[in-house]
Amino acid sequence: MSYLELKNITKEFGKLAALEDVDLQVEKGEILGIVGPNGSGKTTLINVISGYYRPTGGEIFFNAKKISGLRPDQIAKRGIIRTFQSNVLYEGTTVVESMLISSYQQYRTKNWQSFFETRTWKDENETVVGRVIELVKLLDLLNDTFLPAEGLSHGYQRMLGIAMAMIANPSVLLLDEPTTGMNHEEAMFVVDKIKKINEQGVTVILIEHNMKVLLDVATRVVVLSFGTKIADGKPEEVMNKQEVIEAYLGTETI
Amino acid sequence: MRFIDYKNVVPKTVIGLLVFLILLIPVFTTNVATLSMLILSGIWTVAVMGFTLVLRTGQFSLGQSAFLAIGGYTSAIFTVKLGWPFWPSFFLAGMASGIVSLLVGMVVLRVGNIYFSIITLALGEIVRIIAQQWEPVTRGTRGLILSPPPPIILGGFKINFEASPVPYFYFTLCLIAVTALILWQIGQSRLGRAFAGVALNPVLAEHQGMHLMKYRVIAFTVAGVFTGLAGSLYAHFLTVITPYVFGLWQSIQIMIMSIVGGISSLVGGPIIGTILLYTLGDYLTRVKTFGIQPLLFGAIVVMVLIFLPKGTGLVDLWGRFWTKVVWREEEYEPDTPDD
Repeated sequence: MSYLELKNITKEFGKLAALEDVDLQVEKGEILGIVGPNGSGKTTLINVISGYYRPTGGEIFFNAKKISGLRPDQIAKRGIIRTFQSNVLYEGTTVVESMLISSYQQYRTKNWQSFFETRTWKDENETVVGRVIELVKLLDLLNDTFLPAEGLSHGYQRMLGIAMAMIANPSVLLLDEPTTGMNHEEAMFVVDKIKKINEQGVTVILIEHNMKVLLDVATRVVVLSFGTKIADGKPEEVMNKQEVIEAYLGTETI
Repeated sequence: MRFIDYKNVVPKTVIGLLVFLILLIPVFTTNVATLSMLILSGIWTVAVMGFTLVLRTGQFSLGQSAFLAIGGYTSAIFTVKLGWPFWPSFFLAGMASGIVSLLVGMVVLRVGNIYFSIITLALGEIVRIIAQQWEPVTRGTRGLILSPPPPIILGGFKINFEASPVPYFYFTLCLIAVTALILWQIGQSRLGRAFAGVALNPVLAEHQGMHLMKYRVIAFTVAGVFTGLAGSLYAHFLTVITPYVFGLWQSIQIMIMSIVGGISSLVGGPIIGTILLYTLGDYLTRVKTFGIQPLLFGAIVVMVLIFLPKGTGLVDLWGRFWTKVVWREEEYEPDTPDD
């Protein structure tokens, strides 16, 4: 069984099936790209994996354990962390405060240990602060550490979103269009960071609109169209498939 | 909403000096009226601290007076009806109130927000109506008459609760100190961060592994326990408890005191807000204009919301005074984003 496995996942909103019988295997350490036209169910897929929605049919396994039907926090605890399509932040906090709130899963110490400020809590606190600095450097937020998160530009808010997901200690990172609203240069910067994150041993599932970005970063690509999987394979192969071109550009009518 | 505690901003020596001065108050004045007012505002402070802790998780409780009532009545029933001594009844009052808040919290805090506010509002009324109608136990509207705590003998020195309000003054201070200490520790621990996360963005917090209900219930239960203890002390200090003492207006007062004091600090805000508004309210009861107290309180809340918004409250003025005047730190101006 694969690292993360989706079996016949269906998600229906009333009569509309946003996802229909989607099978997906994700191997440890890969960067999986998910593409598809608008409304093809990409974000629904992430919402289903992360527990925001419960699938109406099918099962999800992670590390050979069933995770479908669990609450988002239980899924997050198992190491599947997501980012959001829009800039979702902790209102009124600075960058470092957001990072410290998000560092919740970095700690092994229990709540009561932190309450009594035990030695282990203090030590762990130091390591976490070290990790925060590391991530803030990695994602180019060092100059903005003490700025209010809401005051950052769109691009940096996207980076903060990834940083907050990273400090939550993921083994699988679900990125929902990390490059929205960016020009090619900025998108390539993000791609570079995603590769670096992947090198740290994090499996990445990436939703992307921009084909160029995807070709550059993904080791495997899955194409969704109207809630079904129409292609799965190496980026170059997938992009030349007839179904994929049709899904994007429409069918030829004679 | 900011969640910095001014524990780290204001030097410990200043806090120590203030505590020392407060401890000396009974030396300068033994006026019963003054001390009573301070004791009662101290008791309300504990309730307001509880409310502020719940608000820190983003939940608006409109029924905190219910826990004062549960605490007060538990303690009264156990001492008067069952003849228990004061101390076990006092702690039982906290426990009873804590258990009620735990059970209510586990049911309502799954959804939280407006439903929580409505249910706590209803809880306040239910508790009041039970106190009114359960004649054989609570004596209905006539209320229960309590006795003060028994004297404590400490190495030949007798602390007599019946003779003067001074022992109550120190007892209240102890209760505030214990509550403040626990809330401070909660504020600095993982719990404090989790509370902030849960309040500031529940969806994001949940996707980062925080169990929303767990942290909301913890805050609500801790608040329940201390509010219950405060309720017990309240009943024993006034030596009478009736259903009229705890109603919707009292819950709203707690809310107003918390907001005016500021929720950016779990301890300083409630203390400043309560002492200011309780003193004002006490003065206003002597003014014979009908409805002047709610009117003025409402005006103060509006002023605070306009001039000190986002939960900063009056305590923020204190924080700003320290950072600007005493430390002469330059105000931080965020750069305008330029790309």
